[in-house]
Amino acid sequence: MTTAIPEILAPAGSLDKLKVAILYGAHAVYVGGQKFGLRTAAENFTLDELREGVAFAHERNAKVYVVLNSFLHDKDLEELPDFVSFLDEIKVDAVIVSDLGVVKTVRQLSNIHIHISTQASTLNVEAAKLWKKMGATRIVLGREVSVKEAGKIKREADVEIEMFIHGSMCMAYSGHCVISNFTQGRDSNRGGCAHSCRFEYSLDMGLDTEEKKKAFFMSSKDLEGLRVLPEFINEGIDSLKIEGRMKSHLYAGTMSKIYSEALEYYSQHGNFLSENLLEWEAELKKVSHRAYTEASLVDKAGADSIFNEREVSNDSEWQMVGAVVEASPKTGIILEVRNAFNQGDELEFIPFRGKAIKVQANEIMDIAMRSVQRTRPSTLARLPYVEGIGPYHLIRQKGRK
Amino acid sequence: MKYLTFAQNLHDLNLIKDQGMTEVILGHRDFSRFGKLDDENYLALATRAHELGIKVTFEWDILMTENVFASTSKKINEFLETMDSLRVQDPGAFEWSLKHTDKPLQFIAENGNHNLLGLKGWIDYAGPRMERIVLSIELSKNVIAEYIKELLVPCEILGFGRILLFYTPRNLLSPLTSEKVALNQELVALGESEESPHKGFPIVENTHGTFMFHIKEFCLLEYRDDLIKMGLDTFRIDLRWEGLSYLSDLNNLKENYPKDLMRGFYLVNKTDVLFPKLKNSRLQKREGDYVGEILEAEKGQHLAIMVKNPKGLKKSNRLKIIHPKGEVFEVQIHWLKNTALEEVESVEMHKLALIPFINGVWVKSHVFYLDNEIDK
Repeated sequence: MTTAIPEILAPAGSLDKLKVAILYGAHAVYVGGQKFGLRTAAENFTLDELREGVAFAHERNAKVYVVLNSFLHDKDLEELPDFVSFLDEIKVDAVIVSDLGVVKTVRQLSNIHIHISTQASTLNVEAAKLWKKMGATRIVLGREVSVKEAGKIKREADVEIEMFIHGSMCMAYSGHCVISNFTQGRDSNRGGCAHSCRFEYSLDMGLDTEEKKKAFFMSSKDLEGLRVLPEFINEGIDSLKIEGRMKSHLYAGTMSKIYSEALEYYSQHGNFLSENLLEWEAELKKVSHRAYTEASLVDKAGADSIFNEREVSNDSEWQMVGAVVEASPKTGIILEVRNAFNQGDELEFIPFRGKAIKVQANEIMDIAMRSVQRTRPSTLARLPYVEGIGPYHLIRQKGRK
Repeated sequence: MKYLTFAQNLHDLNLIKDQGMTEVILGHRDFSRFGKLDDENYLALATRAHELGIKVTFEWDILMTENVFASTSKKINEFLETMDSLRVQDPGAFEWSLKHTDKPLQFIAENGNHNLLGLKGWIDYAGPRMERIVLSIELSKNVIAEYIKELLVPCEILGFGRILLFYTPRNLLSPLTSEKVALNQELVALGESEESPHKGFPIVENTHGTFMFHIKEFCLLEYRDDLIKMGLDTFRIDLRWEGLSYLSDLNNLKENYPKDLMRGFYLVNKTDVLFPKLKNSRLQKREGDYVGEILEAEKGQHLAIMVKNPKGLKKSNRLKIIHPKGEVFEVQIHWLKNTALEEVESVEMHKLALIPFINGVWVKSHVFYLDNEIDK
């Protein structure tokens, strides 16, 4: 007997990341076009890439949701209809929307399913009911809602529910932070967030001493909900979202793989073994992240959910050394090198399913088939062929920060 | 144009009456982000306001997750008789109020809601129950004028007061103090960041979470004539932090007020103009005639292109290559190789193609068909 499980919804900041996420097990991905999303600095998708991405996903029974979750101003809204018509034509599975004007525009022009973005901070049954009446088929709840509350919202509002399970978190209620707007002239709710919450602040708290408290007091730890998976399943949550369209291929692949494998295991066995959880958690920690918290998934986020540390670009012992771009017995494995590695280093190929394959890089060649001792980033390298490894497989290495 | 403000005690009500105001916002501490009134004080103020002929608007602007919402919303029934209008922000509170009360509603549309279509949607949804809509302070004057004209309900904007920048339900200040924080105790701080020239952001933690405000307060006093001409219904003055005594001399409030003031985006909102600079636009042109991306540039040897166009790459193709910094190279391919280093006539999509090295071209350069240019 198998248990019904939620969808794993992965971020895809580019077409390559979409393919990585789906090949590594994501049941759905969310992507952004060149406008209307909240990640202005992301690579995002051209129209051709959206078309290709949707086709790629649908061929593999995966879904594609397109973010239109900026708080659009009137002049932005004027440009939306053509894009919505295009999305309808290429048969995207849903759009993710924050603003009632966008909801109305999408409904007028198409039959595309509408998911209400977390940016709308939907927190309770009544809000979910309202958005359902407005035409929403799914609500992405605010990150402040617990899984138990989410289950109640689903039952009483009778609408699909999506919750975040992993990734960076806004400290503020989503859509309720305008620090960037007023201090940097960048509209955070149209994709210009300057991440002011991650800055260190000196705080004068009116204490007797003149010394000010220095703290990263507005910075949140990253969400990690692996151990809460049974609660998500028991409450009938429809979709579990992984944050991070700006993050790496390694992130998109690893998160998609671990969460989808964990869910599949649960669907087959009805439980998790602690050894499985430890193994999956170890895998999650191999990707750069802030300290993890379950935030408000179980109880209201407390003081231990604050990440009172300076940001680091990579705090993981592991790093991605490259992604496979071509592979065959004739040509070997050709990878795009992201981080240098040496002849003799131990590498791990991450298969789409199952445990990592350890390979000693005893023989490295460049694309012209000359032997090299050490690879360089932004070059191509050849490794001997490994059965089962092909394009979009990721390769990582321990201990080379 | 009406003036509107908050009262926190009986003295405030008298000042409001003295100014000839006809409406007051009362903030109960279970419903209002900065409300300090408990049941007894709220009822006393509401009663007194009515005695003074002042209409009472009950503020419900706390965002509530389901458990809190379910338990708190029922409590509103205790105050229904004492309020003339209900003012809500959360769509859930909006929906609940429409279903469970018969009070006129004021909808706070201050976060987002920057398009007419959406605003009309909220108004249509509430129907005749919508008494007033509170517009965002991020709207510029031209937009405010248009909205006042187009919307069929009275509009309100903040005319004077603190600018709320950030609202979280988490307690962010209390973890930084070793002192025990009492129930309903408010913690305050002034913050400055290393990354910003702004100093002295007021920060407040109370039972509802933590709030950060701009170092300057918002002031449209000098634009009141414009706003009257536009037909603005309500000009809200929020003096909850510095005290309502400043209300007595509205014409000199700006000069007398102890804080720096700003008009925000009233004249113009250009908070999207920097967006094109946030990414390399030259690398975004990947439509139509896009061939692919250079993954390796081996000096004197070859360029390796990942072909991403269904048409593939042919030896006969003339190419345009755009360097990430914008330099453009136009080339005719003399040879084309696959990854087995075999000379070939064409390379299909999703395969690597090697072409002769071109001085100046580097990794991440984008390659386009020159013969079929669409997007220059």
